[in-house]
Amino acid sequence: MRERRSSAWDLWEDAPCGLLIAAPHGTLLRANATVSRWLGYDLAELIGHKRFPDLMPMGARVFLQTHWTPLLQMQGSVSEVQLDLLHKDGRRIPMMLSAIRRERNGVVQDEIALLMAADRKLYERELLAARAKAEAATNDLELAQARLRQANGAMAAEDRRKDEFLATLAHELRNPLAPMANVIATMELRGADAPPSGRELGVLTRQVAQMTRLVDDLMNVSRISQGKIDLRLEPADLAQTLKFAVEEAMSSIHAAGQSLRIDLPAGAMWGNVDRARVTQIVANLLNNASKYSHRGAYIELVAHVSDGSAVIQVIDDGMGIPADQLGNIFDMFSQLTPALDRAQGGLGIGLSLVKGLVALHGGEVSAHSAGVGHGSCFTVRLPLIEPPADAVEEEPPPPPATSSLAASIVIVDDNVDAAETLAAAMEMLGYRTIVANNGQQALRAIAESLPQAAILDIGLPDMNGYDLARKIRSEPWGCEIALVAATGWGQESDKQAARDAGFDLHFTKPLDFMKLDQQLRPLMPNVGGQV
Amino acid sequence: MQLKTRNNINVHGDGDATMVLVHGFGCDQSMWRHLVPAFQDQYKLVLFDLVGSGGSDLLAYDKTKYSTLQGYADDLLEIVDHYAAGPVVFVGHSVSAMIGLLASNVAASKFAAQIMVGPSACYIDDENYRGGFSRADIDDLLDTMESNYLGWSSNMAPAIMGAPDTPELGVELTNSFCRTDPDIAKHFARVTFLSDHRADLAKSTTPTLILQCTDDLIAPKEVGDFIHRAIPGSQLAMIENVGHCPHLSAPAASIDAMRAYLAGLR
Repeated sequence: MRERRSSAWDLWEDAPCGLLIAAPHGTLLRANATVSRWLGYDLAELIGHKRFPDLMPMGARVFLQTHWTPLLQMQGSVSEVQLDLLHKDGRRIPMMLSAIRRERNGVVQDEIALLMAADRKLYERELLAARAKAEAATNDLELAQARLRQANGAMAAEDRRKDEFLATLAHELRNPLAPMANVIATMELRGADAPPSGRELGVLTRQVAQMTRLVDDLMNVSRISQGKIDLRLEPADLAQTLKFAVEEAMSSIHAAGQSLRIDLPAGAMWGNVDRARVTQIVANLLNNASKYSHRGAYIELVAHVSDGSAVIQVIDDGMGIPADQLGNIFDMFSQLTPALDRAQGGLGIGLSLVKGLVALHGGEVSAHSAGVGHGSCFTVRLPLIEPPADAVEEEPPPPPATSSLAASIVIVDDNVDAAETLAAAMEMLGYRTIVANNGQQALRAIAESLPQAAILDIGLPDMNGYDLARKIRSEPWGCEIALVAATGWGQESDKQAARDAGFDLHFTKPLDFMKLDQQLRPLMPNVGGQV
Repeated sequence: MQLKTRNNINVHGDGDATMVLVHGFGCDQSMWRHLVPAFQDQYKLVLFDLVGSGGSDLLAYDKTKYSTLQGYADDLLEIVDHYAAGPVVFVGHSVSAMIGLLASNVAASKFAAQIMVGPSACYIDDENYRGGFSRADIDDLLDTMESNYLGWSSNMAPAIMGAPDTPELGVELTNSFCRTDPDIAKHFARVTFLSDHRADLAKSTTPTLILQCTDDLIAPKEVGDFIHRAIPGSQLAMIENVGHCPHLSAPAASIDAMRAYLAGLR
């Protein structure tokens, strides 16, 4: 006859959680029906036959040894431990376990409660993944903020440098204005008929040249940084180019009572270069050496061939470069604070220009200095080429033939001063000139006087110079006239636009009228012959 | 960096000789509770927690430094220098047995003896070597650690299920043992169970006692035998015990074996 089981017994057997009692070393002493059902074992297979770790995969068994058991031994209980248990068929069942180590009737035993935790485990995994994602996002954010701070710092520094540069620029451009204004004032005092003295003209010439240099440097640097500069590469003897550079820099070296020693190789050094630009590179370095050296300093220009490159060095015994500045001396606006009273100012863009031009030639430039007061050495390396087959010593071009017959030119510019001064200059060279200040005036003047040449400003108030040129070319009288475009922009695209509009020549302002004269004469065959 | 706070260093007793005890993976210095009263009359006992475990300064846990056991060995040497006048008796459980080995191989003169409790030189089976685990087993362990991520903070603390019948632990119930940060625990597990210091055993010149449990999943008897053969002149003492912590579950047998060995050294 079946004994009626107590409700306490029912509760033990069919509790909504698995219940196990194990000896401290793991042997299972009791288990309820819930455990049997969940794990797929008969009670008889568990009790006395299995140890608690036998119900687990290896990871959980290790965990039992390293965490669970020591904690039970030290604090008498553990709770909320998640472990996978193994179903009899090998399936893993995620479970949540709590245990108490108790002494009952003199015997120590572990009483263990098990709950299913599959969903909870999934949920926690999701939480963990979300947390990992959030941590990664936080890290990214911190990284981004750090980068932003860095960028802001760099921008602020760049901003300061630009502000300083603008102040320097304003200062440098103002400097020539004072002597020029003075000269004009004295000329006005003497009256319009009195011719200007040689001294006054000298002042004006020097100051205009200085301003032109500054503006040219600025234009060049910005064009290089925008990748808008085109080199006119041709095989050339670099040694010749170096001599031109010396001529250009000599005046400032002499003015400072300094001496220049030149040591060039005997033979030619052929490079595929833009001669004007290489001249500019070396002249810039020489001017720099002069500017940052004391009165009476020694400057050297040395060149030799090494490893298929021309190595050009400009060495001075001047104020030198602090070690911490060597790295950024070629950057834009990085002018060192002039340490000498006789430092001649300048924009601090010369070296940036040098670096850009050298790079365009496929070369390298570097600076060395043993420190403040120990002089500097700038080294430029430019790749060499085989000498061209028809290499001959270059001869200076013949002087321009002077004309016996005056050619007439119409000069068109809405800036009245610019037009009048250019007219005055061209007249000194023997041309007859007519001035117009807009497109309509110009068309009338050209149609009436049929000049041999016309110099057109591109930015006119009533039409642009290209349209004006097209109109001239479309007239039957307009085919023979030599047309010269005068613009503030000298990029290849501007030159192409000028060619397309029918111009013969393209000049950037301010016009070099000697060069203009040279290039105009061949275009006017019916004007004067060779003398 | 203060060593004391970095490693939560505690000194017991005032013997002439110094004994340094270092816990293994998964716990902290509280595991030595039964050994402290047994040795504090004879020795100055230096107990500490490995950086990243127990009450150590978790901010000092540098993942690069502690990506090998050498990082812990360097810490141990610093502590020996600051807390011991002469050569020490080193007692290391489990992974710390190898930490002590690395330290004593670097500075043998600072170690009078090393007692390895349940050591393993390499946990993963390798050709003819039986470490007891496959790489998959170790991955399974790391996964288990991950599963208990949320448990770490409450740290499997005593359940509020009526007061457990362990009155001697009354005060300590407010503490929790073997606290650790889950990320550190996972990293330490990886470093521990993927370590292989078999090649360092033969270099040891320090007198060595190995306490080997009769039934230890983590450091099976073959591993104890391997270490015993590899370290010249080492002694092996078997402790009748199921599990990996004889100092907790068989303290009397452990203390006896240690005393017998230390007496033989004099």
